[in-house]
Amino acid sequence: MTAAQFVALLPLIVLAIAAVAAMMLVPLARLEAAQAAAGVGLLAALALVLLRVGAPAAPLGALFTDDGMARFGIAYACLSSLGALVFLRTGVPAKEAPSLLVLVALGAATLAGAGHAATLFLGIEIVSLSLIALFAFRLSRQGLEAAYKFLVMSGLASSALLLGIALIYAETGALDFVGWTGHGALAAFGTALLLAGLAFKFSLAPFHMWTPDAFEASPASAAALAGVVSKAAVAIVILRLFLTAHLPEPVWSSGLAALGAASVLVGNLLALRQPQLPRMLGYSTIAHSGYIALILASGAPRAGEAVLFYLGIYAPAMLGALCVSAALGRAPTLPDLHGLIRRRPLEAIALSLSLLSLAGLPAAGGFIAKLYLLRVLVDGGLWTLLAIVVAGSSLGFYYYARFFTAPFFGQSSPEAEPLPRLDQGLLAVCVVLIVLFGVAPAVLIDVVRATLAP
Amino acid sequence: MALIALILLPAIGGLVAFFIAGRGERERWVTIATFALMLVLLAAIVAGADDGRWYAKVSYPWVPSFGISLDFAMDGLSAALIAIAAGLGIISVMASWSEIRTQSGLFHASLCWTVAATIGVFLSFDLLIFAFFWEAMLVPAFTLIAVWGHGDREGAALKFLIFNAVAGFGLLAASFALASMADHMTFNAFELAEMKLSTSVQVWMLLGFSLAFLVKLSVPPFHAWLPEAHTLAPTAGSILLAGVLLKTGAYGLFRFAPMLFPQGLEAVAPYGIALGAAGALYGGFVACGQNDAKRLVAYTSIAHMSIVLMGISAGVQYALAGAAVEMIAHSFSASALFLLIGALYERTHTRDLRQLGGLQQLAPRFAAAFALFCSALLALPGTANFVGEALIVVGIFQVNWVFALLALSTLVVSVIYATRLLKGLVFGVPRTNAPLADLNWREYWPVLVMSLATLIIGLYPQGLLALLEPAIKAALVLPRP
Repeated sequence: MTAAQFVALLPLIVLAIAAVAAMMLVPLARLEAAQAAAGVGLLAALALVLLRVGAPAAPLGALFTDDGMARFGIAYACLSSLGALVFLRTGVPAKEAPSLLVLVALGAATLAGAGHAATLFLGIEIVSLSLIALFAFRLSRQGLEAAYKFLVMSGLASSALLLGIALIYAETGALDFVGWTGHGALAAFGTALLLAGLAFKFSLAPFHMWTPDAFEASPASAAALAGVVSKAAVAIVILRLFLTAHLPEPVWSSGLAALGAASVLVGNLLALRQPQLPRMLGYSTIAHSGYIALILASGAPRAGEAVLFYLGIYAPAMLGALCVSAALGRAPTLPDLHGLIRRRPLEAIALSLSLLSLAGLPAAGGFIAKLYLLRVLVDGGLWTLLAIVVAGSSLGFYYYARFFTAPFFGQSSPEAEPLPRLDQGLLAVCVVLIVLFGVAPAVLIDVVRATLAP
Repeated sequence: MALIALILLPAIGGLVAFFIAGRGERERWVTIATFALMLVLLAAIVAGADDGRWYAKVSYPWVPSFGISLDFAMDGLSAALIAIAAGLGIISVMASWSEIRTQSGLFHASLCWTVAATIGVFLSFDLLIFAFFWEAMLVPAFTLIAVWGHGDREGAALKFLIFNAVAGFGLLAASFALASMADHMTFNAFELAEMKLSTSVQVWMLLGFSLAFLVKLSVPPFHAWLPEAHTLAPTAGSILLAGVLLKTGAYGLFRFAPMLFPQGLEAVAPYGIALGAAGALYGGFVACGQNDAKRLVAYTSIAHMSIVLMGISAGVQYALAGAAVEMIAHSFSASALFLLIGALYERTHTRDLRQLGGLQQLAPRFAAAFALFCSALLALPGTANFVGEALIVVGIFQVNWVFALLALSTLVVSVIYATRLLKGLVFGVPRTNAPLADLNWREYWPVLVMSLATLIIGLYPQGLLALLEPAIKAALVLPRP
């Protein structure tokens, strides 16, 4: 291994070390120490990636790709895991949690650079196994149910994924994405299975069943890891497949389009009458996965840019909303939000802005993401999908609006203890990012373009 | 730069109002000062302008890779509407002085942000920036209705938001489709207007734009959100909705339909006039049957905006001039009526025409104000509304006399509802013996200003018409006499 290769892989190595360190601190020190170790590891990995921005890609062989997209994915995974780490304590008092959180980040970082079936499977499994444990952490009936659901379905999805890879391999004789250029029946069937496996992780309907349960019953930071970190990593994998592999076209794009359209409708429809904030967010992530899948299904030349931009907008909004949800106790409902603006102004503003962004209204970043989505669909002339997106986001206005005004209604309930400094800082960062991306989207677009530049 | 300042000023003013709210009335004064500063700035821009159509015109890149730039321009029409928006902003603050006592900071911030977004709409010539402000105005207006409204305010606010946000997709999709036909990446309306598109393409694009505009204009059958939003909103919300937000729909149609789709507009013009005539009759008849005074005025808004649609569709000089004047006249008459009805409601806790009456004995100023604005509602000569509606009818006569007769008949209906409102509120014997305080200074001065504006435009419309002339000329697409 040359020095260049070592440096390129260093973020992953650091994450792995941090996960082990956080685990070893469990019997020795308090929760804060494990948390600190996890935080330091994530920050170090982030710094290592950021330092290499613009550096030429190191030759890492077939297994791992070291390009702009991989770096974007690793940085994204580290940043959003840091966000989830901040409100981890409010949900999970267990000392093992920080280590598992870093493992999810490690899995996501692996997926970000995965250009090979082996890395893909490895990444998916690291993420899934860590998430199962995190989902179950409350050891409540519902938490266990969510974890169990996820475990069973994850097993199924992994088998589908493996079988899909095997079938594609049988036809193309290749395991790296670049070599996947099949047109026959085997490859077509394999692609369908591959998509099903990925759709499960991406919580696309009809493979979405685990998502709302996980959001409701598990700690909010586990939901953030499932809904932001791992989701973005899978999105990047699909994007990479879209850019490099040549899988049988009708199966790939119409499969993605069908899954995406179904998710947009299912997610938005089921969220409609949902009185519970985390559960609503769970359905909302299904819908957002659908939007991203539709961007990828369009096959438009701007699809890559649009997906990465969408992910960039989505993270602060979802993290902000989940952080507030965690601060309000288990599964807050609409009435719990009433009077929040008096009790906890920062949280009320952060929640409202986050939901505004998820709804795709200006001046939040979500509006620009919606513009991208519409543009890709109009450019591709995909009027049916456009109609579905319009229908879905119209439903979205309804349920987001119910939640984003709730903090301004009613009287304040009893005094609440102030949020820890770190959580306040996270919310402030989310608010700033949401508004910044909404008012000056060129900042993020430039980053995304630089990422995708060859 | 000054144009951007015109948008930023209320946006920042709102933030300041939000954060300094507390004891005292600081946030109210900050809001008033913000709007006053805007008026000063506007006057400075107009005074310092060169000859020509545009008082000011700027362009800055916003998202170059996407082809979006901050293209702002202001002509007489924009200036007039901005002045109204800022003026009604001040009036809204004064009208809600005693009504709004909870979360006053957020209320005034929402007021400022609504005005900021509508001013963005009145200035933008980049279609995506236009859409940005178009949707941005929904959120603070939604908040105004949802948090401080009456009755089933949440339902009304949701209806308002969903109708308008969904309709916004028509605007967005048509903008993208239009831009994808351009030879380079741009959303600049001036550049897009130069494209030569076939009539059928123009019609489709126009329908997309019109979806957004007609919903905001609340022309039947796109009006379902309006009666409840207007009725249940707090007074300031109703004033802004009727005086400013509805005008964004009229403005968009007036500005962009002839500019971008001249042949398309010509092709659908008869349908536009017919839709407007039907809407005006429908709105008028439904208004006649209302017992809730505020709801009645809300339905008259539907009727009047439908008349504006007729004027714009007719596309001849008189009709367009009439539509522009009617937009402005309606801002004063509807806002003043909402203010007066709100003030009355605060005192009597009812808006039911069957339980009110005898104002002329109890509160003569109230009665006089109602009398004047009810006259404006039925477009009595001497009021600004007369100028607008008369010009529209004259213009439609040039196009088609059948439509013109329909337009005239809507004026007859307006007499019925206006006199019914006047009779129910002002005349008759008082239903209660309770004393009724007359207008206080915070109500008196706004009403006086709006009365004067209505009368001045009604008696001397040349001044306003000269201001609007360039915009009317630009909207003139049909080469008819």
